Amino acid sequence: MAIANSLSKVAAVIGIGESDYVGDHARVRAGERPHDSYGYAAIAFNKALKDAGIERDDIDGLIVGPTVAYERMGELLGINPTWGSQADAMLSVIEACMAIQTGMAEVVALVYGNDQRSAAIQYGGPEAMGGNMFLSYIYHAPWGFTSQGALYAMMFQRFMALTGCTEAQLGEVAVAQRLHASLNPHALMKKLITIEDYMASRYICEPLHLFDYCLINDGGVALIITSADYAKRKARKKPVLIHGVGRYDANKGATSLEPRLLDFYRPAQERCAAQVFNMAGLGPKDIDAVQIYDSFSCHVPLALEGYGYCATGDVGRFMAEEGISLKGKLPVNTGGGHLSETYMQGWNHQVEAVRQVRGEGLGRQVENCRFVHYNSDVAGKAVSIIYGS
Amino acid sequence: MANSQAVISLYDEPMWESIRAHDWQLQQCDDCSEFRYPPAANCPHCLSLDYHWKPLKGRGTILSWVIYHRQYFDNFPPPYNVVAVQLDEGPIVMSNLVGPEPVGNWVGHKVEICYGEDVAIGTVPKMRLIQPSS
Repeated sequence: MAIANSLSKVAAVIGIGESDYVGDHARVRAGERPHDSYGYAAIAFNKALKDAGIERDDIDGLIVGPTVAYERMGELLGINPTWGSQADAMLSVIEACMAIQTGMAEVVALVYGNDQRSAAIQYGGPEAMGGNMFLSYIYHAPWGFTSQGALYAMMFQRFMALTGCTEAQLGEVAVAQRLHASLNPHALMKKLITIEDYMASRYICEPLHLFDYCLINDGGVALIITSADYAKRKARKKPVLIHGVGRYDANKGATSLEPRLLDFYRPAQERCAAQVFNMAGLGPKDIDAVQIYDSFSCHVPLALEGYGYCATGDVGRFMAEEGISLKGKLPVNTGGGHLSETYMQGWNHQVEAVRQVRGEGLGRQVENCRFVHYNSDVAGKAVSIIYGS
Repeated sequence: MANSQAVISLYDEPMWESIRAHDWQLQQCDDCSEFRYPPAANCPHCLSLDYHWKPLKGRGTILSWVIYHRQYFDNFPPPYNVVAVQLDEGPIVMSNLVGPEPVGNWVGHKVEICYGEDVAIGTVPKMRLIQPSS
């Protein structure tokens, strides 16, 4: 198995920007359409430039999120890059590192905008988004099996049956992240909840409750990633270095949910963990906070086991007794995540990781936060990034 | 909302024909004997393009289950279940368990294929428990 190690500390995040999730959500709920996806991306891009302390014309690389057209986004931002790409949040960060390492670009803007709430994007039912890429999202419709939440519900039901993890233990995820959101001015859902509230909430697709599902809201995120050298010379704030990246895709049998139901994505996470920790020269014990792509709460326990933060089969007890909130042993999704902050499809997790390493976490700041580990397993793509000072 | 629909690729059509005849068949690879699901041009196991249609023996084991409480399709008013079943031939399929349901944990229960009628799709393969006593 190949282990790449040449991307460690090659690149750094020097700028972050987000749209006004709270204000825009209020407007959308009032029936307005404040911006389209391009507009949200442009707002975030402007903020990221200011945060970085650079000019638009300093940008020579552009990566655009999957929700808008790359070409039109580049036109609207007025950027003629020497290198460009289109990718999701986590793969964008890895691609930026690769472009910088190979010299294809030195100052890369990553931009994402999504008007999914105001445009009423459907993630389940007859118009399920993503079915053109992930056949599992639409193939089982003749049996009423639709929505990505149901696919994870199917996976986690079996996990509970085999390991003894309980619904109340899973509830620790929603409760902890709501606490974090309550301390985050950018978060949409700030009202604290208890395990009792969680257990009393309605099922959407049993065993998953309402609080296990991500929000659907509009917004945009942008990051400026540059060579470590450029960051040292030009950045307005302390650069946040990318210490390691990893990826392993579990494609085999994906439509039948084999990697989920038979393996819980574990082999993919283990391969990805070996890659990212080896590249960074770090292990789980060195990590101060973890960000996990949480379209559904159950990503969290599966990742905690898969990346070695607790023993196999022990995650229910780990979450309930050792704790995954800021008050516990391992703070997870410190901004509130997709469940309670904003559903920016992994992009907001990158921003939160940068804020924590910078020490800009305000009331939710993790003390002495040196390293933050992001990971995701969206439809079998296990991706990891370690940010650090 | 609307009714659910089957994905019909070039290779799905013969499978649904077999389902309508109450004789669910899948492609079996001529070279490595693996079954393909969903139906496809090539065998993901050995990459062979050669296959024949083979009737399923009709039995499998429940790997997991969910209960829908929210409605996504007109033809699926909640609550309803979906089961993930590993067929004895190997592939994992999604289906609905009809008839008696296990109490408590559904994982590991043996099931057999039966056929139901859906207003939008027509004949659809379903699963029912194999009762040890019967």
